[in-house]
Amino acid sequence: MYLLEELAENYKRISIVGMAKNAGKTTALNYLIEEAMDEGLTLAVTSTGRDGEGTDVVTGTDKPRVYLDQGTIVSVPKQLYELADAGLEILRMTEYGTSLGQIMLCRVADAGYVQVAGPVINAQHITMCEEMLALGADLVLIDGAIDRKSIAAPDISDAIILSTGAVLSRKLSKVVEETAYTVELYSLPVLEDGEERRIIEEQAESDRLFTVKNGKAVTLNITTGLGSGKLLDNAIDEEVTHVFVPGAFTQSVVTNIDRRKLKNVTFVLKDPTKIFIDRTVWGKLRKYGLQVKVLENIKVVAITVNPTSPAGYSFDHDELTSEMQKAAGDIPVIDVMMG
Amino acid sequence: MAECNTAVAQIDLTKVKPYGDTLNDGMTEVAFTLPVPYGDEANEAAKILAKKMGLDEPNVVYSKAMTKEYTFFVVYGKCQHTVDYTTIKVAKVDVDVMDRLECAEYIKENIKRPVVIVGASTGTDAHTVGIDAIMNMKGFHGHFGLERYEGIEAYNYGSQVPNEDLIAHAKELHADAILVSQTVTQKDIHIQNLTNMVELLEAEGMRDKVILVCGGPRISHELAQELGYDAGFGQHKYAEDVASFVLTEIVNRGMV
Repeated sequence: MYLLEELAENYKRISIVGMAKNAGKTTALNYLIEEAMDEGLTLAVTSTGRDGEGTDVVTGTDKPRVYLDQGTIVSVPKQLYELADAGLEILRMTEYGTSLGQIMLCRVADAGYVQVAGPVINAQHITMCEEMLALGADLVLIDGAIDRKSIAAPDISDAIILSTGAVLSRKLSKVVEETAYTVELYSLPVLEDGEERRIIEEQAESDRLFTVKNGKAVTLNITTGLGSGKLLDNAIDEEVTHVFVPGAFTQSVVTNIDRRKLKNVTFVLKDPTKIFIDRTVWGKLRKYGLQVKVLENIKVVAITVNPTSPAGYSFDHDELTSEMQKAAGDIPVIDVMMG
Repeated sequence: MAECNTAVAQIDLTKVKPYGDTLNDGMTEVAFTLPVPYGDEANEAAKILAKKMGLDEPNVVYSKAMTKEYTFFVVYGKCQHTVDYTTIKVAKVDVDVMDRLECAEYIKENIKRPVVIVGASTGTDAHTVGIDAIMNMKGFHGHFGLERYEGIEAYNYGSQVPNEDLIAHAKELHADAILVSQTVTQKDIHIQNLTNMVELLEAEGMRDKVILVCGGPRISHELAQELGYDAGFGQHKYAEDVASFVLTEIVNRGMV
């Protein structure tokens, strides 16, 4: 399967986002790195956590190491620099601090294994990716950490690869359903161009909650949507058509809103990474009439599956791949263990 | 006087093993419970298990019936394994630790405003021991907590605080730092809860505006990086360690 060539043509920053720990993110990363070597692409590699160490800090299980080709740009914190077996030329010291020391941008001078880590703050990833591209990388690959999905946000990643696998559940159907739910959220309807979108985009930068009422934005006196269901309920009257929530969209934002009111408004979010509602609750809220649109959604370019769980069980490779493909529609599903 | 000719074993740091009576004898004590009734078969099972753990010549020195079906054992044996101490690298918080009074001085000189720190034991975790040790006035083990620090406004919200609530408090108070304590680690529940906190903060647009610190018996500085925290404090860390990190970081990040 040749994935990378097409991706590099269309995108500059691709994140590998995991449904869970041990879903096969780093294996997917290695797969892309190998393809890049064949294609002669110059990659930049970074991580929101840490990659390439021999054993996992949480589970103690073996982790795949990361082998980088000559010319690759990579982010390495001070304390991991001397653990690299590749020859690294330090290009510059960045201002991003991590618990493993200041991040340095390096160029691989001698191919070999490297322990990669990047900033833990997404805003810093945005500026660092720009630096990496300016240093001559064709494509930046960002490896996610554990189940942290905020890196998928469209202001950080142009597209994502979603890694999932047996580790999610002992039931194959549950693995497929949970993954399909994430894909569903990431492809939520985008608020269509028009008067409302113009009003909302204009106000969105203020980072405040507001409603759209009679074609005008009305800013609410609420610092965060979290736990503000009651206040929102008061703010929604018959003339309100849209509610913009700039931050996290959790159950506590909507639970206290009267169901009749809930049906009549559209919630608008910046992007789907703001949603923190699990699958069953989401299903229930949708039945009550919850409508959510986003200003931007997330492009999922591939789903990778890992049929083996470190807990000691595994699924049939073909069955998992084909069930996932059925649920994924046009998005290609790749079994990282089969290549 | 006669010269002592006894061969003295040299300590070889590349092959470290347990010490009992003499260097490198590997003597190790382990204790565990098996779900089997007390008796000779139980002792034999304990011995076999100890052997599988890598203990040579296992010796069950104590066994006692816990209930009808369970037996507790203490086993001695000689550990067959060694550790190369010279290659070990542990990530550590890279700041100079200041004591309480030095912290107060540092705030006066470099930050020049009160520093707001909120903390809680989050999620389903009902244990306050960790967060209390760091925040409460009386502190822990002779180390006063953050509430006693001049220049620091410390808010301890206790236990079983949902991540969302702690974030709402932090937002209202314009907190400089959020401390998250996790004591219960069964089935890695702390991992999920800790990453949920990071993700909510990112969604709320607050992550780059606060210093985010986690702590607990199974938290390390290395794990913090993977979880998305600025620092992680494990056992034997006190209020001054946390305060020194937070204050230095406020200055480094230009949050003054």
